[in-house]
Amino acid sequence: MNKKAPGFFRERPLPRVEVDAQVLRRRTRRDVVLFGAGAVAALAGGGSLLPQDTLTRLGLRGKMNPPGKEWPLNRAIRIDDDLAEMLYSPRRTVPTYTKSQITPLKNNYNGATPDPGYIPGWHLTLDGLASGVSVTLDIRNLMTSFSIHEQITRLVCVEGWSAIAWWAGLRFDDLLRAYPPASQTKWVRVESSVNLDASGNPDPYYVSIDLATARHPQTLLATHFNGQALTVEHGAPLRLLVPVKLGLKNVKAITQLTYVAEEPPDYWAERGYSAYDGI
Amino acid sequence: MSATEVISTSAVPEQSGVLVARRHHLLVRWSHWLNIPILLGLILSGISIYWASPIYQHKPDPLTGNFDVAADMGIWICAHVPGLHRYSSPPDWVYNHLSLGPGLLAAALRLHWLCAYAFMLNGAVYVAGLIAGGGWRGLLPRCTDLRDAFRMFRYYIGFPFAKLARRQWPRPSFNTKYNALQRAAYFSIPIAGFLSVVTGWAIHKPMQFHLLAALFGGFDTARVWHFWLMWVFLLFVIPHVILVFADGWDTLRGMIVGWSARAERSEVHGS
Repeated sequence: MNKKAPGFFRERPLPRVEVDAQVLRRRTRRDVVLFGAGAVAALAGGGSLLPQDTLTRLGLRGKMNPPGKEWPLNRAIRIDDDLAEMLYSPRRTVPTYTKSQITPLKNNYNGATPDPGYIPGWHLTLDGLASGVSVTLDIRNLMTSFSIHEQITRLVCVEGWSAIAWWAGLRFDDLLRAYPPASQTKWVRVESSVNLDASGNPDPYYVSIDLATARHPQTLLATHFNGQALTVEHGAPLRLLVPVKLGLKNVKAITQLTYVAEEPPDYWAERGYSAYDGI
Repeated sequence: MSATEVISTSAVPEQSGVLVARRHHLLVRWSHWLNIPILLGLILSGISIYWASPIYQHKPDPLTGNFDVAADMGIWICAHVPGLHRYSSPPDWVYNHLSLGPGLLAAALRLHWLCAYAFMLNGAVYVAGLIAGGGWRGLLPRCTDLRDAFRMFRYYIGFPFAKLARRQWPRPSFNTKYNALQRAAYFSIPIAGFLSVVTGWAIHKPMQFHLLAALFGGFDTARVWHFWLMWVFLLFVIPHVILVFADGWDTLRGMIVGWSARAERSEVHGS
């Protein structure tokens, strides 16, 4: 018999106990019954969390929407958004790339690409300013009154694809300094009125951007893409470029910025996606 | 004092005690079983998410316009598996059978986050159970594992043939909780779980955690890691379930009740 004390990492014998055969039987029966009940509860509870479409596909007829079904799902997405907000820091910048690392960026307009006819008459409206009046700017105002910054950053889509692109534009932060928002502002409603749905009908697009993210040094109001003025596919003449958020927050052809105190509605949050979308 | 003693000696005098080994800690058992619904939710929603932008793509096929390898597989399956020739949408066959369903990206993401947080909590419960029960020591690799794993592999491969030929086919004996092959599997799976979580964070927060994404070769490559780690779980589950049932009720009971009646076999240091 080995008298040496076993090393810290050495496997120990399993603890053994002598029990009455009946105790073993009873304990086994009790735990198997509990296990079965747990399995049924997990099947029912877990199954009820599946989307209605999935349950229908599984052949379950009728509505399966028990009260509280959405609660755990909403809670998880909320925790995840809060965590993303905690991770945000105005000092932490996203990686930048070289021109040789640029990859193609597809036109991912949600719905149809608008007719470029809107571009000549385009202007940007600012609302919710400290001055209390609304301001209208055209693209020449924007490009001549602000310094233009370039960056090559990655745009990440909620679908999972990403593209490295070369952008140029003014910093959102510079616009905020030139036209300060009202003092209680916490959010920006970013809107494009030229957005269309898949059948080509007007479908205004609006997202919420928290003021902290708008002030990030890499948040641009982009005017150029890969060295050229933005084309209609990429949101001419001005799009939001916010690399710390998912691509769906990078609104094309912005027509209005509204500074507000309460979280504004968000096109994709209304369709079941998260609201903060920090990445 | 001894009502039980009286009963046990007078009513069933021949019944003696059974030696049982405490095989799995309560927390290990709980987290083990909770992994089934959690991983099922993660995989079903994960494939729905994959569908939105498949990793494996090729140039669009001139005839069908198809660019997705998983869609190619669906087309192949519907063309070659009897009874599926009339399937309405062959490119979607794989997804229609392995995901939540088409057009459910938002729902899939919500379910994926819920299950991902549950998976991380469950992993913490598992680690706590391994520490509390001392079970972690039984999972550590040994110097002899390579040779023993080969012996065990030869045993498993030869077992069905030996049965058919009615030949003796002795099981290699080990005086450890797990044989070398089990140990390799049960040691790797928690690591795969950990890597799934880490690659998950790398692709979920590729800007804030860009160094983590860089560790796995960047955002796009981290997605490939995350995808193949799913297959580690799927490929583990098949032999795992087969071998548990082949090994018998005592092994399954070990994970439900925690007790094993094969106490002698469980001894580590011979006495």
